[in-house]
Amino acid sequence: MAETTPSLTSSKTERAKPTERVQLIVFRLGDEDYGIRIEQVKEVTVTPEVARMPKTPLFIKGIANLRGDIIAIIDLEERFRLRPEGRPVPERSYTVAVEADDYTLGLMVREVPRPFTLPLSQIEPAPEFVQDSSTRDKYLEGIAKLPEGGIIIVLDMRKLLTPSEVMRLPGKMASS
Amino acid sequence: MKTRDQEYRELFMAEALEYYDSMSRHLSELERNPNAGPALNELFRLMHNLKANARAMGFTDLGEVAHQLETLFGLIRDKEREFSGALIRVVFAGVDALGSMIRAVGANQPLPDATALLHNLDLVVRGEAPILEEEEAAETEEESNRKMELSDLVYIQVKKLDNLLNLVGELVIDRDRIMTLAQELDNPALLATAQHLFRISDDLQYSVMDARLVGVGVLLNKFPRVVRDVASAEDKEVKLTLSGQDVQIDRNILQIITDALLHLVRNAVSHGLETTENRLKAGKPPIGELTLSAMTERDDVLLQVRDDGRGIDTEAVRRKAIERGLITAKAAPALDEQAVWALLFEPGFSMAQQVTDISGRGVGLDVVKLALDSLGGQLRVDSELGVGTTFTLVLPTSIAVKGALLVEVNERPYAIPLMHTDTVLALHPGQISIVGGVMVTYLHEQSVPLVPLRQLLHDEGDEPLPSAHKSDIEGTQHVLVVNYNSRRLGLIVDRFIRQQNIVIKPLSKPLDTIDLFGGVTLLGSGQVCLVLDVPALSRLFLTKRP
Repeated sequence: MAETTPSLTSSKTERAKPTERVQLIVFRLGDEDYGIRIEQVKEVTVTPEVARMPKTPLFIKGIANLRGDIIAIIDLEERFRLRPEGRPVPERSYTVAVEADDYTLGLMVREVPRPFTLPLSQIEPAPEFVQDSSTRDKYLEGIAKLPEGGIIIVLDMRKLLTPSEVMRLPGKMASS
Repeated sequence: MKTRDQEYRELFMAEALEYYDSMSRHLSELERNPNAGPALNELFRLMHNLKANARAMGFTDLGEVAHQLETLFGLIRDKEREFSGALIRVVFAGVDALGSMIRAVGANQPLPDATALLHNLDLVVRGEAPILEEEEAAETEEESNRKMELSDLVYIQVKKLDNLLNLVGELVIDRDRIMTLAQELDNPALLATAQHLFRISDDLQYSVMDARLVGVGVLLNKFPRVVRDVASAEDKEVKLTLSGQDVQIDRNILQIITDALLHLVRNAVSHGLETTENRLKAGKPPIGELTLSAMTERDDVLLQVRDDGRGIDTEAVRRKAIERGLITAKAAPALDEQAVWALLFEPGFSMAQQVTDISGRGVGLDVVKLALDSLGGQLRVDSELGVGTTFTLVLPTSIAVKGALLVEVNERPYAIPLMHTDTVLALHPGQISIVGGVMVTYLHEQSVPLVPLRQLLHDEGDEPLPSAHKSDIEGTQHVLVVNYNSRRLGLIVDRFIRQQNIVIKPLSKPLDTIDLFGGVTLLGSGQVCLVLDVPALSRLFLTKRP
């Protein structure tokens, strides 16, 4: 699937249309591309030292010191169960700091996130039906189909970041 | 008592002078634009506050002038009077009079006579023409100079002080980091600068903390009235003695424990102390003694509420606790007095209404415990049946900086506030016995349960902890004995790192729901260190003990 990675150059050539454009920060989770609107992103940085916090779900990697702010770092691959079996978290990962209403949260991603601009009209609302049982569909703003093939799944951070959603345990752990 | 009077007077002065300045400003605006709504509202509010303060301080005339002006501004606001003509002159004369009265208070002189002014104000309020002298004499230079006086005190919002304290906290953390770096680099010039920075930021921290300190008296002095009211409602005679009003404590801490102290005092009067009749029967003096005192102990402030009432009926509390399901009937007899009294402060216990009739204690006392927990404070109870009860609140002097012990578990540092630590022990396996699956050691003839902190932190799920076996105990065990609600618990850690002052940052959402951690602190190395919440740890141990 790697060859479907969208490139910045192809999107720039389309800028002729006077349509509303959206800037996304795109990163890989599992084998898919995910995007967050750039205005929901505070900064992108190399993941700082993370202190594991006991008594939290495993997808919460822990807390880290980001310029004096103590923020929680979460692993969406684990949260949405997107990590293929046996693939370890790389030594060096990146953190996308996203802002909720009154706090900041770090999303840990394995590759350098990159900016990507596309017309708003390319983002189609998420389909009503749920194709797999993972919970991520609730947090979708839509799916962007790229002209050269491939898709970017656009996440709506405001829905993802409510404290109750963040703390919810995925799958079977929910009962504990 | 003189110093306290002086303190109140200064506070009154600071506020009053500020009010006076604002009044003059708003009045000038009103003169330019007689319909300025906000200025009118402000004047009304200022008069109202000044009136209340003046009356509370016993400056009747000052209060009366402010009251009349308040009424007048109310009328103007409601469009029943117009800010024009003779009325303006009376208002200005009134505000000037307030100014000279306030200055007289500050100089400890008798207040100037305000009879003529009050009469005029009264006339204006009733809608009649005031009696004005033809032309007031031009102000002397001295008088106009006085109007330019600035107060020696600055009134500042606590929020601003909070912010300052947070910034200083950050500074201290960075300072420690620089100090560590300087030592590692071993550069003499850098080291000297770092040491200088160390001293300056120490002084700065001290100054900011000092600026937040207030005398405990500002809270204690509110109690004579409370005690009087409760006592007269209960038809009891109570003599209240206050002491240690000059003990200094952070203003926010005082704010947080206000309710707790109020509860304890009300409780002492209505349930602790007996009626005059019962006291005489018991051979006690007819008037109940209640003492509220503050004192310092090491870095802590102790607030004590002592009554010479009937004391806590330990057996009644024990029975009630079983009834409420807080302890099992089997475990109950084993609890000592202290442990039983501690039950009074459990949330479940205070729900019991009848207990007040039996033991005289229990309604809403969990409020006390909650307030103390939020501060990292401690509660001590001492009571003798028939003789009296003493509650002691152990409070930190300052909120932001706390002494803490750093321990290591699974190669991660954790901080435990010293407020909750009793002692540290190095135990040989022979000093540990197993009782009912729990490791126990004996400290001053008392048994203290031990639990590996690793298990408390890392064992997931709600299942009880695994039973301990003698064979698991290998080598010297590093034990930190913590104390919460008179219960002691020994936490087995991998090693002790050091003792140090830490600045606790609250955990941000969404992690703030995990009560096991009181917050986070940054160590000198920049490392993130979780601060353990001893009350939550103790509760966790109780629910999960094998």
